[in-house]
Amino acid sequence: MKMTVDRNVTLRMARAAQIRIPDDQVGHMMDSINDILDFCALVGDLDCAGVPDFTWKMKRLAPRRPDVAHEWPDRDEFKAAAPTTDGDFFRVPKINAEE
Amino acid sequence: MSYVSSRPVVIGLEVHIQLNTRSKLFCPCSTDYIGKTPNTNVCPICLAVPGTLPLVNDSAVALGSRMGLGLRGEIQKYSNFHRKNYFYPDLAKAYQITQYGLTITVGGYLDIEADGKPKRVRIHHLHLEEDAGKLVHPTADGRLTGASYSLVDYNRGGVPLSEIVSEPDISSPAEAKEYVARLRQLARYLDVSDGEMESGSLRVDANISLSNPGGSLGTRVEIKNMNSLKALERALEYETERQNKVLDSGGRIVQETRLWDDAESVTRSMRNKETASDYRYYPEMDLAPIVITDEQIEEFKKSMPELPWEKRARFAGYGLSKEETAILTERKELAEYYEAVVSFGAPPARAANWVRMDVLRVLNELSRDIREFKVKPETLAELVKYVEAKELSGTVGKEILDILAREDVPFDEALKRTGARTGRLTGGALETLIDRIMSANPDLVEAIKSGRDKKGGKLKFLQGQVMKETKGQADPRETASLLSEKLV
Repeated sequence: MKMTVDRNVTLRMARAAQIRIPDDQVGHMMDSINDILDFCALVGDLDCAGVPDFTWKMKRLAPRRPDVAHEWPDRDEFKAAAPTTDGDFFRVPKINAEE
Repeated sequence: MSYVSSRPVVIGLEVHIQLNTRSKLFCPCSTDYIGKTPNTNVCPICLAVPGTLPLVNDSAVALGSRMGLGLRGEIQKYSNFHRKNYFYPDLAKAYQITQYGLTITVGGYLDIEADGKPKRVRIHHLHLEEDAGKLVHPTADGRLTGASYSLVDYNRGGVPLSEIVSEPDISSPAEAKEYVARLRQLARYLDVSDGEMESGSLRVDANISLSNPGGSLGTRVEIKNMNSLKALERALEYETERQNKVLDSGGRIVQETRLWDDAESVTRSMRNKETASDYRYYPEMDLAPIVITDEQIEEFKKSMPELPWEKRARFAGYGLSKEETAILTERKELAEYYEAVVSFGAPPARAANWVRMDVLRVLNELSRDIREFKVKPETLAELVKYVEAKELSGTVGKEILDILAREDVPFDEALKRTGARTGRLTGGALETLIDRIMSANPDLVEAIKSGRDKKGGKLKFLQGQVMKETKGQADPRETASLLSEKLV
């Protein structure tokens, strides 16, 4: 069954996720969540009878790697791709839980 | 004096120990991050670039298993990883890869002794997980309050941790401190971790509650942010007192997480905790389960070194006291140093005194670790043997040790600098010297002979003169005996 969220539910979800959404972006966030829910509904229509669940059933050996350290050659590319940086740091939203 | 709780205290600890690997848990980035420029030990895997896959570090599995075995736990032949989702930017993935349910080891125990009483703390399990990055808040005091954003350094993100979860068997802050001290000692003996709390290699989260009158468990409070053993004990003492006062005044304890503020010596409630903690664990699909074979378990068991309590029992066989064995075995390197001194022929009891009193004193003065100690065990053994044979006095021996510990000089050179020579001054030579000293101090000799030395200070002065002249080579007992005979 297809689900949708309205503006109030969107704001409640934001509160549960501890993020603040500016008023002018609530509508955009609501649309994005509804797009995801539409996609879930689409996936839900698939006939998955007989398809095994996603937990590992086989007691097979996981590949492991030897404990050898090496540097990634171009680390500046990560900062270049980040939305915001500050000197050597990535800049991220303030999270209130620790306050 | 510690606060005495009017209600039984129940404490369970979660101890996170950074494992001594060269590379991170799921990627080849270096784990050597202290003092490094932020975000230099990073790669597409630990920064969660889409399309990358984690690959388990074999050493982390071995070290986690080793620690679990040290705790007498059982290695699980089959364990897996989960995703622990949480909304916090200290891991770029927005989830932590950890073990949940099927962990690397289960069960076990650690025996401790607190307030002179033995205690067994049961271990629930040990699991592997990745460490998070570090958040920096751009405010003057480094706190979040007043910040409008945060900065993140992912150098630590992905460093392997073993989390050791105890059963709630701990009954006092002192026991909690002792438990962590013994756990740290074990981790160091096993070369699993350096266990330094100050640098964050070992971190403790404490769950504490006070039992209800009927014996049922009270409401649990979690405490974080304790950066030393002392801070752990103080935080738990504060929390014990706080909870008692709340209950005494008719209040109720709120289930919450509190942060220890070391500067103010209080715990403070973390805001918003009551709405958090839905981690939505689910299996990590990018990693196949870890399977450990019987052969590997046997290999882990065979590679276990002698453990602290085994070493203590063996040292007791040297005739050492409980206190002596505890000090000598506190650090594996110190215990090994002591054993090497004994292996070079120093009598065990004497060597124990020298290592416990003098070596530790010099190391403390130099702010050095035993691993940086310049005096080789064979040299200390030689020194101890000279003193034991009374060819050198204890005072000169300590002087020589001080020189050797501070400067790169051979034993003979250090000996020369003290002005001493090996060889005991005794018999006729000692008597001749005593006669000379008595002749040089006729007033004192007369005073002693006529009974005007009630407190013995004048006699001690003459003995001191003999020791000074001989640079400590005279046998103190023989000197005292000869002087007494001559001064009757």
